[in-house]
Amino acid sequence: MKPNRKMMLTGNKAAAWAARLARVEYVPAFPITPQTEIVETLAGWFADGTMQGKFTNMDSEHSMFMAAGAASASGVRVFTASSSQGILHGLESLHTLCGWRVPLVMVNVSRALATPITLEPDHNDVLITRDSGLIQLHAETCQEVLDLILIGYHMAEDPKVCLPVLVNMDGFYLSFTREPVSIPDPGLVEKFLPKFKAVQPVFQASQPQARASAVFGGETYSWFKIQQDLAVRHAEKVFIEKAWRFSEMFGRYYLPVESFRMEDAEYVFVMSNSFATKGKSAVLKLRDQGIKAGLLKLCMIRPFPEKAIAKALKGCKKIAVIDQNIAPGRGGIIYPEIVSALFPEKTAGQKVLSVIGGLGGKDIREEDFGTIIQHLGNPKPEGPLYLYGEQDLNTFLKFERIAKPEEVARS
Amino acid sequence: MLRIRMHGRGGQGIKTAGQILGSAAFLAGFQAQDFPLYGAERRGAPVTSFTRVSPEPVLERGPIGIPDLLLIADATLLESVRPVPLNGADESTTIFINSSLAPETLQQYYQLPSLPVGLNLIPLCRHYLKKANLYSSALASVGARLMGSIDMGFLLEAVEIELEQQGLAEKQIEHNKELAQKVFESLTSVNLQERERTVIKAGSLALLEPRLAADSAPIILAAGNMALRKTGNWRVDRPEIDYKRCNQCLICYARCPEGAISVQESGSPEIDYEHCKGCMICAEECPGNVIQTVSETEDGS
Repeated sequence: MKPNRKMMLTGNKAAAWAARLARVEYVPAFPITPQTEIVETLAGWFADGTMQGKFTNMDSEHSMFMAAGAASASGVRVFTASSSQGILHGLESLHTLCGWRVPLVMVNVSRALATPITLEPDHNDVLITRDSGLIQLHAETCQEVLDLILIGYHMAEDPKVCLPVLVNMDGFYLSFTREPVSIPDPGLVEKFLPKFKAVQPVFQASQPQARASAVFGGETYSWFKIQQDLAVRHAEKVFIEKAWRFSEMFGRYYLPVESFRMEDAEYVFVMSNSFATKGKSAVLKLRDQGIKAGLLKLCMIRPFPEKAIAKALKGCKKIAVIDQNIAPGRGGIIYPEIVSALFPEKTAGQKVLSVIGGLGGKDIREEDFGTIIQHLGNPKPEGPLYLYGEQDLNTFLKFERIAKPEEVARS
Repeated sequence: MLRIRMHGRGGQGIKTAGQILGSAAFLAGFQAQDFPLYGAERRGAPVTSFTRVSPEPVLERGPIGIPDLLLIADATLLESVRPVPLNGADESTTIFINSSLAPETLQQYYQLPSLPVGLNLIPLCRHYLKKANLYSSALASVGARLMGSIDMGFLLEAVEIELEQQGLAEKQIEHNKELAQKVFESLTSVNLQERERTVIKAGSLALLEPRLAADSAPIILAAGNMALRKTGNWRVDRPEIDYKRCNQCLICYARCPEGAISVQESGSPEIDYEHCKGCMICAEECPGNVIQTVSETEDGS
């Protein structure tokens, strides 16, 4: 295969290609919409000998993540993937794995959480793992899914990090969307990402070891937890170094945060994942209309690149943080994180508006960006601003009448 | 950027049609994006697929609300409640309908905003594929031809790439390519215009107040309203019981996943064609093979 062969690929297929290029040797799997295409593709490649190693269907996400961690501890490169309720079911295992300090890469295909149940995306699923100790990279395009998984293995396997990395993509908007994706030459990838070498003693019969260590007295527990925090923080430096090396080899460059038309921006949208594409389109259009808009895209959520964020937003007067998630009783999950990143060097007169939209796959329309601009123009914009229009309400009321017909509701 | 939206039903190859068109545009040197949308349903349920084609990188995602080109593979969808295939279409939208009827008749009957392009794909599919309703290659070909900017060579290459990925035999791929070529040559390109986009203005947000829990929890109180949803027009094939040979074993009644087979007083099974989705499980399960498979679309109406 020629280097940089371009193909039309879904986000799911791009993720499978990345695992194949990384030459992973073990994939424990459990299907869930909209992630299934990833493990289905990998199952095919293991079955026909394209990939060498073992693919195992597990009985749940809880045991799937445990198997992934155990395999990594035994010295092989591991990949796995899940989504939504699956991530929640495996949440206990994720915290455990991070404590084990085992390197692997997993993909989450974002899908909103029940109840009510849906298949369409928002980020409450991935953000529930925010404080588990995972490193988190969020992809905007199918190309980014592939590239971030390859860079992710470097972060995971760094001797000072040695942790699971989660790469996130939106269900439907990336998972089932095909766009041109460059598939790097396998030989070059092998140079970029050499064979996995464990940096901890591995499980083997001749050398017993315990991983589920119990500790009493806070001194020991605290020491390990602080080490985890330091390791995750260190991963930012590793990302910058490896992303630079990646760009030298493959021509695509990534930073923890991406500034789009930020040079003289008066209005800034802070976004992540696939809807950032919609934000960029709106920025270009608003600029054509004479409104100086810009966009700050968060690629890295953990570690939280607060210095890079503060630097990028320095001097910006009107900022809208668009959360595609909701923490009932608090609002958006990313909003307070951005505010706290800005606080040490907060510029006088700087307004930061919390915006909540795109829940359960609801579109963020062009006019929504216009609405945000209008609210940022208010002397004291109040948040959270729910991107929920009159037409959305009418659609809901129509369904409500079907679910609760008047004659039943009254009785 | 051109925005193409296709409407059809599960099993007709609508998702693949969007992908073939996406691949053809990509091979022709455009930036392309394709995306299918369907629910957790089965054969016969409405399927929509979207393809965006642009010389510049595509900065849009998700469903296409305002299509420049609308390809309707199954005209029965024009009478469905959801999706509404004509949503977002106006007089500048080019509409294609798979039908043997004259464009004027179609426009009048379905109250279309513009005079559609019509071509009956059914006899062509039957001729080349021996099946009347596998539209993937034919519909992609309609799209490529009407766009006018994609050479037939790229279209045929795309048919090959996509169908090969789906594991089709070489011979079937060849037949699909012949079909795509025939469709391509049966139409002429139209002057497709990208719809003028409006400027970004602020919208009006709904004012949401907390309601009583009884009114704000997702409870469904309406019982048994599934019957109101007529799914008979989802059928591609229709099961027909040969009552002369039926021995009333009622396995079909037990196996129908939709409860669309009832038992008459005489003890014979009866198919409710208003709701039968044409899954043909009954025909498969019938021990005496007395349930025939009849195509719904053979006559092209």
